Amino acid sequence: MNAIRFQNVSKIYRRSHLGRVTETTGLSDLKLDIETGEVFGLLGLNGSGKTTAIKLLMGLHHPTKGEVETLGRRAPDVAVLARIGYAPESAYLNKTLTGRESLRLFAALSGIPAADRERRVTEMLVKVGLDKALDKRLCEYSKGMLQRASLAQALVHNPELVILDEPVTGLDPLAIKEVRLLILWLKSRGKTVLFSSHDISEVERVCDRIGILSGGRLVKVMKQDEWQGKADALETAFADAVVRTDGVGPIRME
Amino acid sequence: MQTISAVFSYTLKEHLRRKAWLFAALFGLVLLGGALIVSALGADERARLLLDLGLAAIEAISLVSVVFLTVNLILSEIESRAIFLILSHPVRRADYLLGRFLGTVAAVTLGMAGMALMHMAILSLYGWWEPGRYLAALVCLLGKTGVMGALSLLLSLALTSEAAAMAFAVFLWMLGHFSSEMRFLADRSGSAFMKTTLIAFSHAAPDFAHFNYRDFWHQAAPGAEWLMWAGVYALAYTAACLALSVQLFEQKEF
Repeated sequence: MNAIRFQNVSKIYRRSHLGRVTETTGLSDLKLDIETGEVFGLLGLNGSGKTTAIKLLMGLHHPTKGEVETLGRRAPDVAVLARIGYAPESAYLNKTLTGRESLRLFAALSGIPAADRERRVTEMLVKVGLDKALDKRLCEYSKGMLQRASLAQALVHNPELVILDEPVTGLDPLAIKEVRLLILWLKSRGKTVLFSSHDISEVERVCDRIGILSGGRLVKVMKQDEWQGKADALETAFADAVVRTDGVGPIRME
Repeated sequence: MQTISAVFSYTLKEHLRRKAWLFAALFGLVLLGGALIVSALGADERARLLLDLGLAAIEAISLVSVVFLTVNLILSEIESRAIFLILSHPVRRADYLLGRFLGTVAAVTLGMAGMALMHMAILSLYGWWEPGRYLAALVCLLGKTGVMGALSLLLSLALTSEAAAMAFAVFLWMLGHFSSEMRFLADRSGSAFMKTTLIAFSHAAPDFAHFNYRDFWHQAAPGAEWLMWAGVYALAYTAACLALSVQLFEQKEF
């Protein structure tokens, strides 16, 4: 069974302002299957559709056309969310709560029984290295600590599918290494991991396959043997595949 | 049920930590000022004025706090994007909305309870002690507060701006005190358009005549049947607003 299926999915954003309607294409005819147990990387420039694709999987957006399936169920499906762990690009946590309270909330929302909840929450916070900050308010956490708390809420319920939206953005090299090791650990336990990134070097170290998005279209899918052992193969393929749509030109070195 | 109670607890905690209880402290100052002003009057007049002043202040402060808290309830989570993480867990949107609403009403109720205790303490010093009648008046105020909370929540989801939602909420609160007058004018009106408009407003705005326990303050107390119908009206109006809110919230994308 495929963990994720995009079947000819398009997402058009329509904005209406003073009678004028503007349309922006978030995704265009995306057709992609991600197998169970695979680590799949989504590469693309800003605005290429990576986050749109992820939000369609999580039911935060509705597709304009096509169907999205997660773990065999058509999205959005509230029940299947109990088997998915999601960490967005920033730690959008309520800062009035402590680390423990926040994770306790997400554990309850994920359906973890009350008898088991406290143990799982404490174990997960220790696992992500926040054991000394369990009872501190999230407003006192550093960016790196918030990112760890965000990962903790994505994993506390032992999901089958883990979706990470730009998990290494803004992290220091040590934290980046820890995230990489986490992804490899998840893979060793048979989890399916989908993550989006700008960082080619990280993607090529952990992924089984990668997909390159450009302007909302999936322009290339590559398998590991197409870049492993070949210096800059992935970077070259990426540079050839993408088209800048942000109105910014290349840096000229003449 | 687990989901609703988890969201309820988190909402209540959030409001208390964001110092929603300061509204009750403001009431304390109003009451103290009122006690000083009426100190020049005779004993019976003092108690009566303090009773009216205190209940009016509880109503005004509870209204302001419930409108402010519920208008910002969902909009603030959308703005901070904390809603991404909540809805990425197996949480039905209706359960989330209900949990947030009940948590907010609970926070305002705690504030009202604090203000009522202060009020009763001052009144007892001036020789007034009728706890049964006072409790019935408070329950009616709570009904009004719950209705206004549900209406403000609906307006916050229907309109695009917090300021517009708050302004409409206050406008409908004022109209709610003139429901019988609007029906009277509709009966007397010769214009079909005015008749329809007035009838529509008189039904759309909450009818606060159901909760005016203070109208009976200086006469024989109304019976249990009157209180029961007030309760039924409050629940029905609140349920209708919440049902419409859920419909709007289900369509939202984040």
